[in-house]
Amino acid sequence: MGNLRDKYCIVGVGETEYSRNSGRTTRAMAVEAIKKAMNDAGLGPKDVDGMMSYQQNDSTPSLIVGPDLGIRLNFWVDMVGGGSSTEALIGLAMGAIEVGMCRTVALFRSMNGYTEVRIGGTGARAAAPVRGQELATRPYGMTSAGQVFAPTFMRHMHDYGTSSAQVAHVKVAHSKHASQNPKALYKERVTVEDVLNSRWIVKPLRLLDCCVETDNATCLVVTSAERARDLRQRPIYLMGVAGRVSKPRTDFPWAHGPLSRVAGYYAKDIVFPMAGIGPEDVDLTGSYDAFTFTTLLQLEEYGFCKKGEGGAYVSSGIIELAGKRPNNTSGGHLCEAYTHGMNLVIENVRQLRGLADDYCPGWAEGKHSYDYSPGKCRQVKDAEIAMNLGWSTPATGSALILRR
Amino acid sequence: MATVEYRGMNLIVPENDSEWREYLKAAREHRLVMRRCAACGLLRHPPNHACPWCADLRWSWQEVSGRGTIHSYEIVVQAIQPGFREWAPYPVVVVELDEQRGQPTPDEGLRMIANLVKPDFTPEWEDNVAIGKRVRVLFQDLAPEIALPQFTLTDEPAEGRTWRLT
Ligand SMILES: [Zn+2]
Repeated sequence: MGNLRDKYCIVGVGETEYSRNSGRTTRAMAVEAIKKAMNDAGLGPKDVDGMMSYQQNDSTPSLIVGPDLGIRLNFWVDMVGGGSSTEALIGLAMGAIEVGMCRTVALFRSMNGYTEVRIGGTGARAAAPVRGQELATRPYGMTSAGQVFAPTFMRHMHDYGTSSAQVAHVKVAHSKHASQNPKALYKERVTVEDVLNSRWIVKPLRLLDCCVETDNATCLVVTSAERARDLRQRPIYLMGVAGRVSKPRTDFPWAHGPLSRVAGYYAKDIVFPMAGIGPEDVDLTGSYDAFTFTTLLQLEEYGFCKKGEGGAYVSSGIIELAGKRPNNTSGGHLCEAYTHGMNLVIENVRQLRGLADDYCPGWAEGKHSYDYSPGKCRQVKDAEIAMNLGWSTPATGSALILRR
Repeated sequence: MATVEYRGMNLIVPENDSEWREYLKAAREHRLVMRRCAACGLLRHPPNHACPWCADLRWSWQEVSGRGTIHSYEIVVQAIQPGFREWAPYPVVVVELDEQRGQPTPDEGLRMIANLVKPDFTPEWEDNVAIGKRVRVLFQDLAPEIALPQFTLTDEPAEGRTWRLT
């Protein structure tokens, strides 16, 4: 971002309830999430003039949602995309504002990921005709995200001796975090044994290695640091961003190895120099957890531990709330909700504000107990710098560095 | 247009499918073919219209041996597509063909996705699936112009140490 570092901020966040039965349209949910994010920032309809969303033909476009809220748009774009879009769109929103196309952007993702278009790929998507590039995989019963990613995870186990029990710690950590999050769909803490005893989905993934499927909308508001100063919340500054950085051969990612390498290998060299920091400066991470393995692979690739030592890293306690660098303190996609990445950024914004919405009675005033036992606090003490590691596939990812 | 229903899914190969039509037709003749770049001579898969290494647009089909090694795999226990449910658990393998291994860089090779099947096209037993095992191509005929390349284990000794999830 060169000279744009610290010049743009996230000023508002909002989300609907995370559920498996929204009982309403993506339009209704999007409007609610955006309105909450505007309220959070202290912005009215006249203050927002840009809108962005990402979708997979499963959402409602900005041109409908904006006017629902009385917003006249100077700029909008609805992009095709799932995971790793949040970070990429934040970067694009900064660009849109920087060139003068608009002043303030509301960025949303609205999806009935459980009751309409199942994110796991079951239902109508599974029976869709197979043509073009899909002929390389779908006729072989390789269609869902887990099925497409599993050979990468297996190869990591082969290359580095990563064990199922080590990886299970990601779910264990995130379930602990979810137990301090009133919004989380799954608040119950689980053990390594629980994960290892859950049924197989696609080896090496068991049920509890896989994220939840939920209905929800989420929203972030981005504006310039100059405008951010007058708004309701403490601004959270954007230090660095890398969007949809990809390995070679995304058309057929198995063609280019090592299979156990993920896109962060390339993204780290963009995002860290831009922010002017290194992994050791990051207080908490939001490494995308579509699966337990995705968290591990990215933390390792971005240099939070040595390549190949991700298993030891995630099972060391470092990624837990009481640890040195907690990951996905909301419970993430494994436990809080599946939003294609946005709830992971929302959580980091709240953490940097010191306003994690946990069970501490005074959380809204920033009063936290830092007691990380179940049903208590999930605020990271003195969090200054947070990082999000967005995942689309092993071959494509995004990254974002934020500070308070 | 060639089309066939396979495990509850319609595989569709229109006349203008400039990537897959000839590939699947060759498979129906029990030949595994790859595109070879006319400029740099490298083979590539899946079929496309420019060379991933030199971007040259000229290519020709070349038949390959269909022999290779399991580079990675997964075992699908809970099938997503309804037509695969009775087939589960089934292995999906990443096969690295003998041609062009470690070229043009050590991280690359001519790799394919397929099922590891027994000669009767039923899924191979999970205990027999391992990284490093040797395989050869088989062709599963589906329609007059469509066959799916699949892989089956061979008697050749494995390459070095084999590895499987235990
Ligand atoms: Zn070439």
